[in-house]
Amino acid sequence: MRRTLLVAGRVLRQLRRERRLLGLSIVAPLVIVFLLKLFLDTMPPDLSRARYAVPVAAFLVHFLAFLLCAIVLVQERTAGTLERMFVNGVTRSQVVGGYLLGYLGLATLQTVAALTEVLLLFRLSYSLGTLVVLFVVVWLLAVASVMLGVFVSTFARSEAQVFPFIPMVIVPSVFLSGLLLDPDLLPTWASLLGLLLPLRYANNVIQEVIMPGGSLGAVWPNLLVLAGYSIILWLLASRTLTEVD
Amino acid sequence: MSVVGAVEVAGLTKRYGRIEALRGVDLAVAHGRVYGLLGPNGAGKSTLIRALVGSLRPTSGSVRVLGMEPTAHRAELRERIGYMPQGPALYDNLSAHDNVKFFGGAHHMPDLAERVREVLDFTELADRAGDLVYTYSGGMKRRVSLACALVHRPDVLFLDEPTAAVDPALRARFWLAFRDLAARGATLFISTHLMDEAMLCDEVAVLRQGRVIAADTPVRLLQRGRTRLIVRTGDNELEYTIGGRPEDLAAALQAYGLAPDVRSVEVRGDTLESVVLDLVAAEDDQ
Repeated sequence: MRRTLLVAGRVLRQLRRERRLLGLSIVAPLVIVFLLKLFLDTMPPDLSRARYAVPVAAFLVHFLAFLLCAIVLVQERTAGTLERMFVNGVTRSQVVGGYLLGYLGLATLQTVAALTEVLLLFRLSYSLGTLVVLFVVVWLLAVASVMLGVFVSTFARSEAQVFPFIPMVIVPSVFLSGLLLDPDLLPTWASLLGLLLPLRYANNVIQEVIMPGGSLGAVWPNLLVLAGYSIILWLLASRTLTEVD
Repeated sequence: MSVVGAVEVAGLTKRYGRIEALRGVDLAVAHGRVYGLLGPNGAGKSTLIRALVGSLRPTSGSVRVLGMEPTAHRAELRERIGYMPQGPALYDNLSAHDNVKFFGGAHHMPDLAERVREVLDFTELADRAGDLVYTYSGGMKRRVSLACALVHRPDVLFLDEPTAAVDPALRARFWLAFRDLAARGATLFISTHLMDEAMLCDEVAVLRQGRVIAADTPVRLLQRGRTRLIVRTGDNELEYTIGGRPEDLAAALQAYGLAPDVRSVEVRGDTLESVVLDLVAAEDDQ
């Protein structure tokens, strides 16, 4: 645990020094949500704004947490610092755990910022319970996204090799997780494929709780799936991150 | 009873697909020695060092560092070896102090803060220890990298081309530091492609295309060479090729009146590097 906290502390110290990265990571989702607002304002008034706005905020947190973590961990490999950590006794699971803890801070900031903007911009008002559920589900999605980034980075030897993974993860998330289309309307194979995506489970919860009269009652197992998803990815990444070539 | 050496390698091979980076390397390094690994770029020096620190799994053969197999006894060995890779391998957006503290923090060191100060002093970085590494020159980054490798007081240090792209003055300081560490009991395993650095080692191995083609003390290696002796008398010029030993030179000079009881003659001229360093030092003194 000591070395996990050591890695997490170092990741946080680096993030604090990277003010531009930190700023852009928080501002970029806010700008996109604002553009979404401009776009949705042109749609017929009977279209549910919340049905798109809240899941899009979740998607942005998912995308950025995944991408940042994947690229930064690959940079560790190419710079030689990952090898140096291993030679100094830090283990794979400690690196993965350290990255998770380090990036959770950033993911939490992104979650709070994106959700707050959506609520204010679209003038959505929910009960405190619903707000808590929304925060928890987007935060759990961010955890899964960090773990997905760590997992994907273990297959890339350079930053350039991360890029093919981006459409592989993100495009299916857009089309198969219920962000744009109801998963029930998808062909069976596409719907089954969507079950592999963490955004699908987050979206299931979001769509239910933002509906008038909606509650967590029927959809809470999705939160467990999201947590389980992170744990499985942690275990997988701890095995696929190579200490010895 | 056999004495366990600091490093023992036998029949080591490493294959990447069809490429054989190491082809049956054998070598042994005793404790407290400065061991140089010489060879041109691509000879397999970094591959060998990465196998010794446990970053590479050998295809065949055996590797022992302090009597332990590096990939099998990872946790135990990590506390006792230091590694300075060929690249900087530092966090550019952290200070030298934070880099050294991070890598030192991975070890169990109750006196970490004091030790970080010590190695930053030793590598002459104390004045700029708080500056971010990306503001440093290449030579300063090499010093930070050395400090990271030293911080946990390792028994064996593996340094992969530590003086590459380093100016002569800093190179001289690095070698003083290496000899100082060896005098305190550490074993140093240093790769280089600079032949003049070989003379500063206790022993050297020459690696070529993944094979050790010679291993000996630098003086004995040098004696395997030839010396061209050019003698000018009046308008005549005679050229001889003699052996590289001091005895060979004495024997050749006896034909020109050297006393018969002179057994050996050695000529130790300054290198261009030492002449330049003296000039720089004289300029600094003014």
